[in-house]
Amino acid sequence: MTVEFRALRRTYGATTALDGLDLTVAQGELIALLGPSGCGKTTALRCVAGFETPDSGAVLIDGKDVTRVPANRRDAGMVFQSYSLFPNLNARDNVAFGLRVRRRPTAERHARAAELLALVGLPDHGDRFPHQLSGGQQQRVALARALALQPRVLLLDEPLSALDAKVRVTLREEIRRLQLELGITTVFVTHDQEEALSVADRVAVLRAGRLEQVGAPAEIYDRPATPFVAEFVGTMNHVPGRVTGDRVEVFGRSLPVDGTAPGELVDVLIRPEAVLVTPAEDGGALILASSFRGSTARLRVQLADQSEVLADVPGHDAVRLAPGLRVEVGVVERPVLVTARTSGDQEPAVA
Amino acid sequence: MTSARFTRVKGWAPASPLLLVVAVAFGIPAVMLALGAFTVPGAPGEPGTYGLDNVAASLREPYLTKLLTSIELSAVVAVAGALTGTLLAHAVLTSRSAALRESVLSASGVLANFGGVPLAFIWIATLGNSGLVTTSFGLGPGLLYNFWGLALVYLYFSIPLMVLVIAPALEGLRPQWREAAQGSGASVWQFWRHVGLPVLTPALLGGVVLLFGGSFAAYATAAAMVGASVPLVTMQIADALTGNVLVGFENVALALSLDMIVVAMLVMAVYLPLQRRSSRWLR
Amino acid sequence: MVAVTPQSSARAVAVGGSGWGRRAVLVVAAAYFLVPLVIAISFTVYNEVQGFSLGAYGRIVTSPGFATSFLTSLALAAVTIVLVLVLLLPAMIAVRLGAPGLRPVLETITTLPLIVPPITYVVGISSALREGADALAATPFWATIIAIQDDRFPVVLVLAYVILALPFAYRSLDAGLRAIDVVTLVEAARNLGASWPHLLLRVIMPNLRSALAGAAFLTLALVLGEYTIAALLGYQTFPVWIVTISGNDGQLSVALSILSLVLIWLLLITLSRASGRKKP
Repeated sequence: MTVEFRALRRTYGATTALDGLDLTVAQGELIALLGPSGCGKTTALRCVAGFETPDSGAVLIDGKDVTRVPANRRDAGMVFQSYSLFPNLNARDNVAFGLRVRRRPTAERHARAAELLALVGLPDHGDRFPHQLSGGQQQRVALARALALQPRVLLLDEPLSALDAKVRVTLREEIRRLQLELGITTVFVTHDQEEALSVADRVAVLRAGRLEQVGAPAEIYDRPATPFVAEFVGTMNHVPGRVTGDRVEVFGRSLPVDGTAPGELVDVLIRPEAVLVTPAEDGGALILASSFRGSTARLRVQLADQSEVLADVPGHDAVRLAPGLRVEVGVVERPVLVTARTSGDQEPAVA
Repeated sequence: MTSARFTRVKGWAPASPLLLVVAVAFGIPAVMLALGAFTVPGAPGEPGTYGLDNVAASLREPYLTKLLTSIELSAVVAVAGALTGTLLAHAVLTSRSAALRESVLSASGVLANFGGVPLAFIWIATLGNSGLVTTSFGLGPGLLYNFWGLALVYLYFSIPLMVLVIAPALEGLRPQWREAAQGSGASVWQFWRHVGLPVLTPALLGGVVLLFGGSFAAYATAAAMVGASVPLVTMQIADALTGNVLVGFENVALALSLDMIVVAMLVMAVYLPLQRRSSRWLR
Repeated sequence: MVAVTPQSSARAVAVGGSGWGRRAVLVVAAAYFLVPLVIAISFTVYNEVQGFSLGAYGRIVTSPGFATSFLTSLALAAVTIVLVLVLLLPAMIAVRLGAPGLRPVLETITTLPLIVPPITYVVGISSALREGADALAATPFWATIIAIQDDRFPVVLVLAYVILALPFAYRSLDAGLRAIDVVTLVEAARNLGASWPHLLLRVIMPNLRSALAGAAFLTLALVLGEYTIAALLGYQTFPVWIVTISGNDGQLSVALSILSLVLIWLLLITLSRASGRKKP
């Protein structure tokens, strides 16, 4: 089953939620719609579910236009952000709700519900009511309910954002495991870039109702197509640089520019892990602070011109690179993105 | 041991004035009521004896009719008020106009607290024998001064009360539930049957109970409007209290009061557990 | 009468309900609720003899007993409010500070007055007063029984109103206390060296301002509207006076009805202002 968004437009009064969205989700793929709040990702998902009707454009499921099909005939399972379980039904009846609506016999309903509850890791919770379940358990039941009718498409609307950090990580891994096991085409809406990068086959970054970039997580992270994507996914340093030809000078090195430069004086976008820090007694830079994160440590480094950059270094180097240490700052040799200068009109940074 | 007891006593100390006042102002009248209801007056100058005679008498004619009429009137008002109040609340809450929602909810707050004799006067001016609607449409006299007229007037505060009771429950119905139901293939009707109404049931029944209690206890409106033409237990009790009846009926009035409290408690016994359940659902 | 206040009003789930059905419900409801009001108001300001006149409203103020009964009711309300708050607040704070066993007791005594119809309560009160006067006739307490029934300031009514106000005041204060973390507040204040009275007056009460105002106004509304108990015990409070005075003057009685409606309305407005409910 594929899902296709064709030139989807939707406005609410003066605000435009979707501004001509084009995107195709392949069979069995998990695609994450990622973007800041108000970027239209939830509206796009609700157009697939049938809770929203686009002003123009179409939603195709498996090549068939379903734009005007009512929500209860869409054959799409949906998991909501939170509190979507029917409070008057226990977990089993919540999962079996769709079968009950279809007047399937009780035995079949119970068998299917038990099967699905086992699938989501809650085999013994069938008799519990939603208020007796934790947030994570509620979302598992909601997932089981969404899968109960063997839908063609699974829609996840920020299903983890109301949960604790730890539960969030385990549950997202479990969702991914289930999705791969069932091979179900899935659209996962989230504003959490780490979540999107870690579970999706492809990530679609949305901005103001338009598709900014779509690609595999590594591609989105390493080769962001636009400065917006670069900023939104991961952390970026803005380092002043000077463009000459198709290269840019930064930290005393000349790096190839990815794409076209907007002018001579630019900001070079550099990931913290691409910043190299080496101790040097006569180095022009100074480590101001260090926060240890286990496998890595993030350093805040002051350059000779008083500007600051963030650098990620291996965790085992953290002791060596303590605050107060004089260092030299370099950069990994690879093509870099540049944007119009926003970091003041300083000269290119030298370390 | 001693220290645990001590802190316990100390913990309750701030509540002692309250408990004392409640014991005096509520406890004593309650005990006197119960004692009186079970006291059979002796001959003049003789002390009474305890017995069930008053209670038995209060459950025979002519009193039984009054008790039953009161219950019937309250039940009619409660059910009709709950249904129309819910419909009205739903119509208002799903409206796009915030001004309509706000003004209906505020008006409900006012009208739910509007009762007693002033309420009777307003309806007498409208539908009384010389009321404007009665005379303009040439309706016959006595329209208002019967069981159904009283029910119509009681609904004037009961429906707004229901709106106030049911509105939070209606607002507690989350959009996700409807959408999740639709996503599972349910029609609008199926959503209401399997989810919407079951979730609202505690609040609905709670509203019925509150409305019942409000009408059951109402006295002044009926007294001002219908006098004795609709036999109600509250008016019988008031008559006994103000000396409008034969001597010796006072203890029957106490027994009637006891009957009323028992009815109210039975109804309330339905309400409290339901209320607890609904508050759990509608977090 | 049951004192109830409107709740918040976010837009509810729009499920089903065709536009026509909704419109029909609204039209019928508007007719039922507005027609009597409009008729009543026009009745008070117009008659065939005099034409338009606000005379009926003027007569309210000049009627004998208006000021006395109104002031009596206000005084009763003031004392009831103070008493209710002074009795309830320490008990409710105690529940949170280490007497959780007290909670069911409080819940019960603040629910009972809702169950007991006022008319049966007044039967109990008058029977207690009568029996009490008989039983205590020979003792000094007899004077007390008489004193609390003083016509000018019937203490017995205050006691009754305190009981009737408990459910509403309790719920208002409970909501307020729920919103602040009393235990932490008290521990923090004690840790900083505050005395108990200081703590209560300077730390807890200011944080409960809107809940206190809510409790006070609900009590005020109750006292200004209560008829049954006052009438049957024979006191001329404002609601009783309304009934007494309206007797034969039809216009005046309906004008008084409108007046009490406006009074409730003003009280509710003040209440929602005081409790600081933010409009969306």
